[in-house]
Amino acid sequence: MIDEEREGAGASMLYVEDEADARQMVTRMLAMNYPNLTVYSADNGLQALELYRQHTPEIVMTDINMPVMDGIRMSREIKVINPDVRIIAVTAHSDTSYLLSAIEIGVHHYVLKPLNYQELFTVLDKVLEQIELKRLVSAQHRRLAQSQRQLAAAQRIAHLGSWQRNLAAENMDWSDEMYRICGVEPESVPASYHSFMERFHPEDQAAVAESMQSALDPQHQPDHKFVRVVRLDGSIRIVRLDVEGVRDGDSTIGVIGTCHDVTELKEAEQQVRSLTEELERRVLQRTSLLQVTVSELENFSYFVSHDLRAPVARLEGFCTALVEDCGVCGHANCRQYAERSASVVQQIKQIMDAFNSLTHLARCTLAIRDTDLSVLARDILRDLAADAPQRKVEVVIAEGARVKGDPELLGKALRHLLDNAWKFTSKTERGRIEFGWSDRHGVRTYFVRDNGAGFNMKYAEKLFKPFQTIHAPGEFGWAGTGIGLASAHSIVLRHGGRMWAEGEVGQGATFFFTLEPNPESGSYLKES
Amino acid sequence: MAPSYILLVEDNPDDLFLASRIIGKACQHEILTARDGEEADELFRRMEQDESYRQVKLVLLDLKLPKISGLDLLRGIRGSAKLQGLAVAILTSSDNEADQEQCWELGVVDYIYKPMTVDRLKGILSRSEGAQ
Repeated sequence: MIDEEREGAGASMLYVEDEADARQMVTRMLAMNYPNLTVYSADNGLQALELYRQHTPEIVMTDINMPVMDGIRMSREIKVINPDVRIIAVTAHSDTSYLLSAIEIGVHHYVLKPLNYQELFTVLDKVLEQIELKRLVSAQHRRLAQSQRQLAAAQRIAHLGSWQRNLAAENMDWSDEMYRICGVEPESVPASYHSFMERFHPEDQAAVAESMQSALDPQHQPDHKFVRVVRLDGSIRIVRLDVEGVRDGDSTIGVIGTCHDVTELKEAEQQVRSLTEELERRVLQRTSLLQVTVSELENFSYFVSHDLRAPVARLEGFCTALVEDCGVCGHANCRQYAERSASVVQQIKQIMDAFNSLTHLARCTLAIRDTDLSVLARDILRDLAADAPQRKVEVVIAEGARVKGDPELLGKALRHLLDNAWKFTSKTERGRIEFGWSDRHGVRTYFVRDNGAGFNMKYAEKLFKPFQTIHAPGEFGWAGTGIGLASAHSIVLRHGGRMWAEGEVGQGATFFFTLEPNPESGSYLKES
Repeated sequence: MAPSYILLVEDNPDDLFLASRIIGKACQHEILTARDGEEADELFRRMEQDESYRQVKLVLLDLKLPKISGLDLLRGIRGSAKLQGLAVAILTSSDNEADQEQCWELGVVDYIYKPMTVDRLKGILSRSEGAQ
């Protein structure tokens, strides 16, 4: 850097001398010693002025006494064009009369004639050094100005104002954005500590003062607070206030900090919070409605399983008495009616049991565990095959149907579905039962498919209703009470899933179901 | 020979009728009845005094009774020095599992869901007579 300066890095100079020999000599010497200095030479003031206008060199070295236009007049003109130009006057002793004029127009340096090169180079070095210094300073200024512009833009974009409180001078600096956050034009209010405190909501001023005070403590750890700024128009902004002490060795000489306008963020947060609360309220409301429904159901099933049992048991007792005591009566109808009444009582009891087992599914506590439906299906089908060794049924089970659920209940559901498939393939020559799963529209869907009797889709609605069957009683063996599919449906519902069926008469049926990936354990009944 | 009894504690007249009918078909014992828990309790006190409990072959006890419940009566029987050896069978239409468990723990010869059958009662009587 220093070497470059010595060589006149990037600078240019206008050299004016009317004596051709001297001009050529000096120009050569300059070219040798300052290879990086661009030198324009002229032999009179007028020509020099022309060259100056073209190239505006930083340095002008001129003879004073010249024809056409002397050095003083020329310098004056050049100074008008560029006040910062550095002028070196080359004068003879006889030119001293011009010296005062030279000083007046701001000629900075002079070298005496006849020229001593050492002296010239010393002066030139000094001038070049000044130019370089000036260049550095202005480059620094530019960089500084750019940083400040960037900082201001960044603060504006981020809504982040900054400030500093200087303890010794008892004053404060605020960034422009700090003013804007407070709702005032930059520098339109005094940046005093008092004025600073005034910006905050009266209820928050103590908290702000506390932060400012605690930052003075050398042990203070940086922290932040959310406080309110009240603008002149009365609107309120929420800012995050960060405060830190400025240390000089062991002592604290000031406090520096930022105010980040987070009003919109806080409003959004508040919105999310109130939405969540609203949602929770609704969930609570629905849960309590659900609990009311479930406890009504509970009461009702208690009624069925206890209060209704006693009269039904009585009826059964009297039917037995009828069969036993009136069976010998001569009238044939007596025995027949007694026996049929007894059978009706048995039906009532079955329906009550079925009802109780169905309502139990809605009420019971779920114990959620990892459950492998493939394993459950295989075990159930193995049992079914063992009970009916004469039947030849092709069984296909897809592996890996691992779910979260209550293994006991899911086992029951699968048993009902597979029982159903088993029953309705009993008249099919090459019976085939399949348990599998696939992803339909992104939802894991399990199915039990058979190629048995199938059903008419117009009865699909009735399939999952309790006590309803769509096949005539006895058509496929004992029909039961018709709650198998209703139970399976109920179990799937308890697991947050869905069940539906597709079928065609004579072409078999497929029962599909989905399950909630993470069902909750427990029951709807309030803990009592 | 002193008469032997079956004590039937039952509040419902139909159930009383049906149970009495079955008892009449199953054995020759006389039937003593109590129509609620309190009446049964008074009967037990008297039996303790006059020692007539010795003639009771079986107590058929309904659980749901007015005033004093069947379960409390059973506890009273098991807590009495004289009565504790009585054969008691529960005759109920409730399927409450907790009740049933407590009854077995307090020692009953059977837990019958109504209606009772002749065969069931005969079974109980032959078992408890064998045991005596």
